[in-house]
Amino acid sequence: MANVFEKVGEIKERIIKAINDAKDLNALKLVQETELNKKSEFNGLMSHIRELLGEEKVKFGQMMNEARSAIQAALAKKDEELNNKLIEQKLASEKIDITLPGYNFKVGGINPFQLIIDEITDIFVSMGYEVKEGPDVETDYFNFERMNIPANHPAREMQDSFYITPTTLLRTHTSPAQAHAMDEKSGQPIKIICPGKCFRRDDDDVTHSHQFGQVEGLVVGKGINFGNLKATLELFLRKMFGEKREVRFRGSYFPFTEPSVEVDISCMECHGKGCPTCKGTGFIEILGAGMVHPNVLKMSGYDPNEYSGFAFGVGIERVAMLRYGVDDIRKFYQNDVRFIEQFTRK
Amino acid sequence: MKVSLNFVKKFVDLDGLDVNEIARRFTFAGVEVESIETLASGTNLVVGEVLTCENMPDSDHLHLTTVNAGAKYGVLHIVCGAPNVRKGLKVIVATDGAKLPGGTIKKGKIRGHDSEGMLCSLLELGVDAKYLSDYQKAGIEELPVDSVVGDENVLGLLGLDDVIIDLKLLANRSDLYSILNVAKEMKTLFGKEVILPSPKVNINLNEEVPVSSLTDKCPQFSSRLIKGIHVKESPKWMQDLLRSSGIRSINNIVDIGNYVMLVTGQPLHMYDLDKLPKKELVVRDDIEGDFVALDEKTYKLQKGDISITSNGKVMCLGGVMGSLECAVDEKTKNVVIEAANFDYASIRRTSIRLNLSSDSSQRFVKGINPNQYEFVMDLTAELISELCEAKEVGKTVTYLKDKYSPKVIECCFKEINDRLGTSFSNEDIVKALEAAFIKVDVKGDKFSALIPDSRIDIGGACDLSEEVIRILGFEHVKSELPMMQLSVGGLGEDLAHKREVRNYLRGIGLDEVVNYSLMREAEVKDFAILNKDEAYNVMNPLTDEHEYVRTNLLPSLMNDLIYNLNHKNENLAFFEVSDLFSKENNKHIHLGIVLSGNDERHEALKGDEYNYYHMKGIVDALLKLFGIEDKRARLEAANVNEFHPGRSAILKLDGKVAAVFGELHPVTKKKYHLEKVNVVALEMDLGVLFGVKVGAKKMAAISRFPSVKRDFALVLQDKVTSSEVVNEIKKINRELINDVKVFDVYRGEHIKPGFYSLAISVYLGSLEKTLNEQEVNALETSIVNTLVSKFGAELRK
Repeated sequence: MANVFEKVGEIKERIIKAINDAKDLNALKLVQETELNKKSEFNGLMSHIRELLGEEKVKFGQMMNEARSAIQAALAKKDEELNNKLIEQKLASEKIDITLPGYNFKVGGINPFQLIIDEITDIFVSMGYEVKEGPDVETDYFNFERMNIPANHPAREMQDSFYITPTTLLRTHTSPAQAHAMDEKSGQPIKIICPGKCFRRDDDDVTHSHQFGQVEGLVVGKGINFGNLKATLELFLRKMFGEKREVRFRGSYFPFTEPSVEVDISCMECHGKGCPTCKGTGFIEILGAGMVHPNVLKMSGYDPNEYSGFAFGVGIERVAMLRYGVDDIRKFYQNDVRFIEQFTRK
Repeated sequence: MKVSLNFVKKFVDLDGLDVNEIARRFTFAGVEVESIETLASGTNLVVGEVLTCENMPDSDHLHLTTVNAGAKYGVLHIVCGAPNVRKGLKVIVATDGAKLPGGTIKKGKIRGHDSEGMLCSLLELGVDAKYLSDYQKAGIEELPVDSVVGDENVLGLLGLDDVIIDLKLLANRSDLYSILNVAKEMKTLFGKEVILPSPKVNINLNEEVPVSSLTDKCPQFSSRLIKGIHVKESPKWMQDLLRSSGIRSINNIVDIGNYVMLVTGQPLHMYDLDKLPKKELVVRDDIEGDFVALDEKTYKLQKGDISITSNGKVMCLGGVMGSLECAVDEKTKNVVIEAANFDYASIRRTSIRLNLSSDSSQRFVKGINPNQYEFVMDLTAELISELCEAKEVGKTVTYLKDKYSPKVIECCFKEINDRLGTSFSNEDIVKALEAAFIKVDVKGDKFSALIPDSRIDIGGACDLSEEVIRILGFEHVKSELPMMQLSVGGLGEDLAHKREVRNYLRGIGLDEVVNYSLMREAEVKDFAILNKDEAYNVMNPLTDEHEYVRTNLLPSLMNDLIYNLNHKNENLAFFEVSDLFSKENNKHIHLGIVLSGNDERHEALKGDEYNYYHMKGIVDALLKLFGIEDKRARLEAANVNEFHPGRSAILKLDGKVAAVFGELHPVTKKKYHLEKVNVVALEMDLGVLFGVKVGAKKMAAISRFPSVKRDFALVLQDKVTSSEVVNEIKKINRELINDVKVFDVYRGEHIKPGFYSLAISVYLGSLEKTLNEQEVNALETSIVNTLVSKFGAELRK
């Protein structure tokens, strides 16, 4: 009865081949239905077991089991293979252009004027400064008198300031914040900055604006010296404009500081070589500063023999114009969204 | 202040000093050099002599010349168009390759004739037309007959080889309006030796013009009489120096006045003695009426103006300008010289009121050396004797309000170093101060400093520290961060809150703008809904565009909207946060928002036109951001003219008005020419928002059991608001009704007029268990019953 055994081998081979030849899941299903139903030739082979005896019977049973397992394994393997193929085809058909722009979640732009104020504020807050915002409308007493600019001083010409009444005006600088801070702290050490809007009676053009921003800084304590001012400004300017900036000090004059200086930084365009931005000088004037004038301390109730201090003032638009190459100061106040939306962060 | 280096060289030796180095040191020492200019420039220039000159046959103005340009250049053929070119004339020849301000001269042909150079006018060398006569401007320069042919130092020959440094003088350095003091500054900064003039005057006239003052605005007034002068042209050296200093030469007597003022900084005035009504000069400030000045214009004097009078008649507007009546002219024989000092504030007021400014008034306004009048008078007298060949010179007579005492400052060396953060030795400090002409008397650790009269800016020890550091250099200051007691810094509450609002709004795609605070009167009245304070107005505006201090933000934002729409920027969403100030002196912190066009902040949601609910969403989010619960907020119909009556609201927080927002009224839109776009606007008083006290936050329990959602579609009368419905449902069972959400509102077909359909989801659940069907149904029934009984709601199937 060797041919029964051979038959099992033959049929098994034929079914496995049919399985392996199946092109898709339908074809595979058809093989399964025709070759493995109860009445199929393969299942029909089992009836031969009755014709066999003893060891032969056992051997045949084992052979049938092995054949069934081989067929099942081939079937499972093919099924997985075809399923995978199907998924791959589906995925391939779902392919998209991953370089198309994503759905835009708009990030709001910021007027660079405000951006610079925020940035300067954050730098000084990180150094432990308090932020004080003074009023836009000031008395001439705070705006001038307390800043060591007495009556009859040229800076007090009516024509240069917007007066509300003969004794109140729109502040011409953020410096009166110094006097307010000293009044408030009455004799205690001070470390403040004051960002704010200032007003001068200038016709608006490319470089002039009747409204502009400043950040004022004031430190008052015992033993404060010019070296402290120098270190503070070097630290600030390098944080603001880059660690490689050279910082230099030039003598200057402000009524409320003595000594007074103008502070320059090496040009960020040419790094000191000279270019149109720095008008060939390699340096750019960035702020004014100095040691608080003893008269200012005295008027604010601080004994200048015991206390000393330094102060500085930064022009906001100037910094923004230099950093971003803004060519017309009026752009800050036109609020064209094509301008605003160019800026989101430093 | 334009400073001629040739002028400075009269008093100090500048040999070996590069002008750029001078500019650099001056600038670092607090005297900024704004520019370095030359009076004239040109290379390859040579003195030539016209040998032949013929008219060009086919031209009405060109000449064919041959010019002897000396040994180096030989005889040149030059075509020249100047009307004054003629045989024998000594001329300036720009030879081939000469670089002139207007360009480079090259050999070439003009109408077929060779031209090997150019004969020059001073204009072509870059000399400013204001220094030239009409004759000079019309033709080529005619050199003196004794000029040497072949001389290549043409600019030197003409006195045009000068370099001008333009000093930007700050208010503290008024002393540098004097060439002599600029020369002293050269000693201060470069150690150069200064040669001070020591005028010698032979007094041979025992006659004087008495002086007095009836006002305290004149601390000092001096006069000096000089007789028998000859008025004529000034010598060339003086003309050249005046021209380099930007002053036109008139005649010797006027020029001497200007020259002495430039040298010393002391303005002078000259009176023609024979034109004075009386031999006296009296300073007064109580004269009113018309005054005809030297410029032949009439000015109205007021009480307070300083005038110099003679027999009660105004002869000079003190420190500003003399009268035409007693002005010196070519016929003047006898002059009275005035050297005085006046109250700078008065001079400034007069000068500004009359819009009349002169080199003199500018110097008085800045402040002059109060104690050099004797020297100034002697210098003047010496020059007049010499250049005007004066016969008789009188002595100086002076009125002095108070005796002058020089300033002495007591200081200690430590004070200087302590202020600067330096460690200069006492010797360094003394040396620096003495370089600045300050006499130092050392007394151990201390010293007294005698300040030169010219330095009216130096008043205390801090000024001495500035002198020391500007002379020795800021590089000597040791950088060291301040050592202070630790203190708490930070933004402060309001500023921190403003930051939060601004960051959030930018985060959801709104642009942040900044506007001018000053606006038109009409604008300040627009949108005056939230802040009704009276606006400050400026007494002296430049234009009515910037006259009133804004009290609300929407007028500014409307301008921004119009600007952007005019520039074809559509679909806009922007905001401003600003402090506002008003006459009531309250600081208001406002937020303004404008939305217009489509919501393009998220591309996936594109196309939705901005409406009331976009703004309401932002308001809700801001309340959430500040932890303000719904029940603290109340919306009321706005009923203000600017907004759509049915699509605007006023937000109240704890009963306080916090914001007004909504769609604009068609009339408002028309006013702003915005008929074609949709505009939604908000004005919020952030002070109210920040002021809401929010209790400590506690976590709400989250149920472990599933919740159930039930949807209801209701037909309601228009007067019933969704929030009433939602609140009423919540009240039914606060424990088991977890949330109520509106998901659709519908009006139109199938809904009768005056009614609308509202679809809501109600979320039911318990913290203790899963609700069974009976419990859910019971809740559903009570919801329906409540809606029907309270609102007459009809349930839609």
